[in-house]
Amino acid sequence: MKVLPSRSNEWVRSVTPQKPASAIIEIDRVSQVFQTSARKEHLALSEISLTIEEGAFVSILGPSGCGKSTLLYIVGGFVNPTSGAAKIKGQAITGPGPDRGPVFQEFALFPWKTVLGNVMYGPRQQGVRAAEAEAQSRALIEMVGLKGYENFYPKELSGGMKQRVALARTLAYHPEVLLMDEPFGALDAHTRTRLQNDLLNIWERDRKTVLFVTHSVDEAVFLSDKVVMMSKSPGRIRHVIDIDLPRPRRRNELLLDPRYQKYVVDIERMFDESDEFGSPS
Amino acid sequence: MMSPAALTRRIAPVLACVGLLAVWQVASLALKNDSFPTAIEAIRAIPDILGDKEALINILASLRRMAIGFGVAVIFSIPLGLLMGRSRAVAAFFNPLLMIIYPVPKAALMPIIMLWLGVGDITKTLVIFLGVSLPVIYHSFEGAKAVEEKMLWSGAAMGLSPLQRLVRIVLPAALPEILTGCRTGLVLALITMITSEMIARQSGAGNILFNALDMGQYDTVFAMIIIVGAMGICLDALFERVRARLVRWSEPQFDIPLSFS
Repeated sequence: MKVLPSRSNEWVRSVTPQKPASAIIEIDRVSQVFQTSARKEHLALSEISLTIEEGAFVSILGPSGCGKSTLLYIVGGFVNPTSGAAKIKGQAITGPGPDRGPVFQEFALFPWKTVLGNVMYGPRQQGVRAAEAEAQSRALIEMVGLKGYENFYPKELSGGMKQRVALARTLAYHPEVLLMDEPFGALDAHTRTRLQNDLLNIWERDRKTVLFVTHSVDEAVFLSDKVVMMSKSPGRIRHVIDIDLPRPRRRNELLLDPRYQKYVVDIERMFDESDEFGSPS
Repeated sequence: MMSPAALTRRIAPVLACVGLLAVWQVASLALKNDSFPTAIEAIRAIPDILGDKEALINILASLRRMAIGFGVAVIFSIPLGLLMGRSRAVAAFFNPLLMIIYPVPKAALMPIIMLWLGVGDITKTLVIFLGVSLPVIYHSFEGAKAVEEKMLWSGAAMGLSPLQRLVRIVLPAALPEILTGCRTGLVLALITMITSEMIARQSGAGNILFNALDMGQYDTVFAMIIIVGAMGICLDALFERVRARLVRWSEPQFDIPLSFS
């Protein structure tokens, strides 16, 4: 093969986008049926198809009971869909793996481990040497704002701090996709805002793909590149909205931005409309 | 310096013991019954028992059986209980068996076991094993069942295999509950140890007690009751220390979240 002259190489680079957006997760006609009793079945998800691009922050927004968490668990490999398939980088998802890191509303920390022990758990499991894992984990703990709390047990921490630890613990094993299941749902409004800001700051550094489940419209708009709206009974995708707001996003600027306000108002209206398809909330 | 509250907490158990002995002493003096010696007579008999080489050998033999029965029961029961807690099939198989065995007094099985295995150590150790197993299995089962699903998912995402999750997540997460079962098991081990020696008299602390009863040496009988009781208190206190250290992370004293988001 003939080597191209350097000049033409430069030309090629200049017209190619910096990072071509490629699909990292593909969800193909996924349905989920739950057996609620011996005779009754509940269709939690109906024929969901969705493609998530690498490096995108995508929120799944919907009323409670629309199956949005179930969809996340299917991508995580924690739940097998009744029909359809989910893929990561073209490979069928058959179970959980370190390429997809979950962060749950319930934190799910290991209570017998300290903050440091929790964060080191993943890297150690991946075979990283203890000294190296510890150094990385300490840096992560500092990044999520918990320096000084390394030797605390989860029980000694507040909800917000626990969720910071959970985020650090998941980031520690370098998943390619973060799966966040209403991570700030159990926190008070003030703590929630602070964690949203911090999550954005952390995310804007390395732009991992994030799939973020929430039922809060402004949280979804504030954080995401794309909002996927679902309705319930059965769980279906109603709208997919691209959030075209500049980054890095600052909360105080964004709240005053008419474009942000319009997104929130529009999506809230769609939310109410889609709710009418389901049972009254 | 101890605070007044801490001092009270220290003194209270001592007062309770002294009070019990005082009531015993007065009741015994009032009743004037040969088979009910005074507390002082019983306490005086303790050094005689502990000074007797044969008695000591008997007591140590009892403790050895108890330790083996308890140890084997714990090693056997924790994995079984954990498996039952995480697998419906395993639970469905073992639950009915345990429900049948649970209410049966283990000492009631002894005559049958004696027929098969004789009156020696094996029979008595087996009875202790049975006595200890059930609470440990039950508490391990309950503990494993209560482990948060999301905690296991988090482990699975890190690449832990099902067996690793059982050993490295379910076991530590269920440890407080497991140790509660072990503590009950320890007391039951002491009880079944004495009853087994009552039924199969050959050696042991129970043997001393019941022989003395047959011979009408009531001060020795009561002295042995005190000794067995004291062994129970000491073992329980020792176990509680170990337990508290192992599950420090779950103790309620830590249950005060810091005010920081």
